[in-house]
Amino acid sequence: MKTRVETKENPRLKELKFIVRRIRENPLSLAGLVIIIFFTIIAITAPVLAPPRPGRDPYIIPRSGYFPEPQPPNLEHPFGTTEGQYDLYYGVIWGTRTAYRIGVLVVAVSALIGIIVGSLAGYYKGVVDEVLMRLTDIILAFPGLILAMALVVAFGPGLDSITLALILVGWPTYARLIRGEFLRITSEDFVEAAKAIGCSDFRIIVRHVLPNAVFPLLIVASLDIGAIVITAAALSFLGLGAPEGYADWGQLISLSRNWITGTSGNPFAYWHVYVIPGLFLFLFVMGWNLLGDAFRDVLDPMIRRK
Amino acid sequence: MNLSTNLRTFLIRRLILVIPTLLGISLLIFGVTQLFDPIERASLYIRDPRQIRFVEEIIKKYGLDQPFYVQYFGWLSQVLQGNLGWSQSLHMPVLEALITRFPATAELVLYSAPLTIVLGIFLGKISAVKKDTVIDHVTRVMAIVGWSLPAFWLGIILMAVFYGGFGIFPPGRLSPWAEAMIRSGKFKAYTGLYTIDAILNLNGDVFIDALSHLVLPVITLTTINVALIMRVMRSSMLEQLGKTYIIAARARGLDSKTVIDKHATKNALIPVVTISGLLTAGMLSGMVITETVFEFKGVGYFAAHAATQLDIPAVLGFALFAGLIFVIANLIVDILYAYIDPRIRLR
Amino acid sequence: MKRLTLETLDNEELLSVKDLVVRFYTYEGIVKAVERANLKLRKGETLGIVGETGSGKSVTAFTIIALTPSPGRVEGGAVYFRRAQGDVVNIIKLKEVELLRIRGKEVSMIFQEPNAALDPLYRVGDQIAEAILSHRLPEILENVIKFVEGELRRGRSGFGARLELWAYRKMLENPKSAILAILRRIPIIKNLMTRRLKHVVREEIIELLKLMEIPDPERIIEAYPHELSGGMQQRIMIAIALACSPVLLLADEPTTNLDVTVQAQIIDLIMRLKNKLNMSIIYITHDMGVIAEISDRVAVMYAGNIVEVAPVKELFNNPLHPYTRALLESIPRPGSPFKSIPGTIPNLVNPPSGCRFHPRCPYVREACKLEVPELVKVSEDHYVACLLYDGEIYGKYGGHGRSEEILSDKRRNI
Repeated sequence: MKTRVETKENPRLKELKFIVRRIRENPLSLAGLVIIIFFTIIAITAPVLAPPRPGRDPYIIPRSGYFPEPQPPNLEHPFGTTEGQYDLYYGVIWGTRTAYRIGVLVVAVSALIGIIVGSLAGYYKGVVDEVLMRLTDIILAFPGLILAMALVVAFGPGLDSITLALILVGWPTYARLIRGEFLRITSEDFVEAAKAIGCSDFRIIVRHVLPNAVFPLLIVASLDIGAIVITAAALSFLGLGAPEGYADWGQLISLSRNWITGTSGNPFAYWHVYVIPGLFLFLFVMGWNLLGDAFRDVLDPMIRRK
Repeated sequence: MNLSTNLRTFLIRRLILVIPTLLGISLLIFGVTQLFDPIERASLYIRDPRQIRFVEEIIKKYGLDQPFYVQYFGWLSQVLQGNLGWSQSLHMPVLEALITRFPATAELVLYSAPLTIVLGIFLGKISAVKKDTVIDHVTRVMAIVGWSLPAFWLGIILMAVFYGGFGIFPPGRLSPWAEAMIRSGKFKAYTGLYTIDAILNLNGDVFIDALSHLVLPVITLTTINVALIMRVMRSSMLEQLGKTYIIAARARGLDSKTVIDKHATKNALIPVVTISGLLTAGMLSGMVITETVFEFKGVGYFAAHAATQLDIPAVLGFALFAGLIFVIANLIVDILYAYIDPRIRLR
Repeated sequence: MKRLTLETLDNEELLSVKDLVVRFYTYEGIVKAVERANLKLRKGETLGIVGETGSGKSVTAFTIIALTPSPGRVEGGAVYFRRAQGDVVNIIKLKEVELLRIRGKEVSMIFQEPNAALDPLYRVGDQIAEAILSHRLPEILENVIKFVEGELRRGRSGFGARLELWAYRKMLENPKSAILAILRRIPIIKNLMTRRLKHVVREEIIELLKLMEIPDPERIIEAYPHELSGGMQQRIMIAIALACSPVLLLADEPTTNLDVTVQAQIIDLIMRLKNKLNMSIIYITHDMGVIAEISDRVAVMYAGNIVEVAPVKELFNNPLHPYTRALLESIPRPGSPFKSIPGTIPNLVNPPSGCRFHPRCPYVREACKLEVPELVKVSEDHYVACLLYDGEIYGKYGGHGRSEEILSDKRRNI
């Protein structure tokens, strides 16, 4: 049943208030928010929590020796050590920074590319639209991880390659979203009016259309950080990421692969090497997904009518 | 109007649409090869390690220093003849490697895809019908947890508990004794899917062994993917439940079970078909992570192994294979659509 | 189920809506969609409900068969309905099982968008069959059983008929029988088992479609909804609604989305069927022309309130409520300028105080902002909810009831 309701408030402000209210009311999204704040604090205070040795790259995990067998948690190593005696505590703390770096960079750059390409396609339509959309079709025709893997191999292994590959694989989704919004918005009257009074294309895009299209995209995109970090970790796990000893969750988990069976007396003797870094990765991703789930509900017009 | 003619023209039109997509995929893969220098690219054409001495000649022969489009058509004609290059990491042609590894992947998909899809539909439906109840909340939390679990970590934990802790569900595809039995002359390989072959050979021991190796990877794949299906089913179901035809069906006196099962569910399944098709394609084209963790030697394991060895022809051949699987999956999904939804056939 | 005394519904009456309150819980707030609505429907009568979009007329209709759309909730009042056997029930308090026996069998509904009201994935024949089978299965089964028994006595059929006979008897005895449920899963057996039943139902449907004046019914029942025109879809919806000969038909703007010529045909069809089947109709529309054509009595709704109820002639000749008058004046007539009602439909989250029409009312008084008007009887069968006609309250604020001013004003306009 449609019920017309008139409102005098600024609709965008009202929207924001509504979203904030929904997030506050929902214990799940609140949990997600708490987790994300927790990780953000870790990332910011990493140099305090795990001070790097002066003069060395802080992302390189300090190691005490080369002995293969991992050490259980002790006073010197609160989370124990991995295969090859890398300090697990230092690794997961600085790994948080690595995760944020990749996640934020990939989301920001691919959203930016997506916005530019999507705006051009959705505003000019016709041939420009056709060409750009076929390009996104082809990239989206591949499973993301596989295309990213091929690109990383082509660029040569490393975290930078992973970042670049994930950007190249990720932007088409945003381009599609923005284009859809553009097609919807440019058919509305106020854009026709702006054209009629002689606004330039650039002005119409930036001043009139983008603010209406970009808001939902930015939210959805920022919540993709979880998904991106999990993919990047998967590539690292396969051995396509940073060199050994770099603070990176995926790699720390990969270092645990030889130690899952434990010793004869104690099958879980090396639990810390796989549980701790995996738990960090899992909680990080879940924090973003919890928040993302709530946001998607709020933005979904089908679900929003309570 | 003749429905079967409609369906036929629809299919023909759909098949023709496949061609540009395939060309696009081949262009993209070929584009990636252009990131390498001619000598690296030459390895795409080497079928035998002894040929490496003749790299210069290969560059000349295949025109690897020629302009982009000339090279593209040269490469494409090779690909169309089934020559995907030589895999250094496996010491065999890439195509052969893909073909020999495919049954393992197919077997994993055979069990995990139906399980994931059925479970996802079931949970999504319940969650939608019982919206905002405890059941809905629990289902959704479970889905988010599953969705957030990294496949490689879940795999490691499962192995640590079941294989490390209890000594059951080992990694790999078969135990050594079963492997030996399969290689012996008595066992006939019909499909390459060990559980199926074991049934056809009436060999219960091999069947149980093969199945016990499948348990953990199937659990892993189902856990992390079920949320995808569930989410789509839930929102699709909620959408359908709000439609007029549902009220109309109830207004004619149908009980809510009939309305939900017969009308809402069937309509809600339409978008689920797409996502299920893509999911199955994604699985078939290689569960790179899951297969690697469980040392389950399928296509994905092969690709991951090749990637770490920087075996470029193998990785590109694998990517091409994955693209092809996706195109086929999309085609099947569209045909299924036309079958389920009578409105599609007329368009 | 509590039996109600005859006081709730007198012998002439089929349905009575008493002080109905329906609210919608949306994120923007609580929408007070229907507020203390009162209606009565006599047997064999056509009651028109007229009002703008959002006036609550459709919500009222849905609530009559206890299908208030989500997120709406019935917060008060009652809907008394006289069942075919003669007992009176309150629909609002009824259990779902009881409702299933009323919906589609005793009360049916047709909708504004026939296209959206049909399931796109099933052939229309199957959807009509669903309506027939959900209420008339035992009756049809008995007929089929007699028919098959006759065939067997004459020795015309063999094993197949015997299987069918067994299945039909089982179905009649216990429709939820487990063995039937299992057998029905097997396509070949299912076909064999129900061949004659299907045939009989098909004949029923074809008869029904002929009644709906649908040409070539054999072809139509095989069609999917999207293959039919809007008018044809609405005829199918009417066929579904009338499949079990209900005593009451709720028509929610059934012609609003149709072409003008088709509109006239559908209205004609509904009225002819009404006489043939001896039904009562509640017809909802915002079209005053349609109302004048078909109704015996008219209820005018504004912003969730029923503001005036009167026989159709009385309403058009002697409209009392200022909103009714404005509505009648806004009917476009050739040669005279189009007059729209000034102001907008109020926000039902925060409806205006007192009389909900007061912000748009040309005769607004201080009292109108403070007092909620009740439906009062002004003459035989004519009720209005307006303080101008409620001397008692109006007097309290120093005015006089039945304002001379408004009556003289009315004469000027009509």
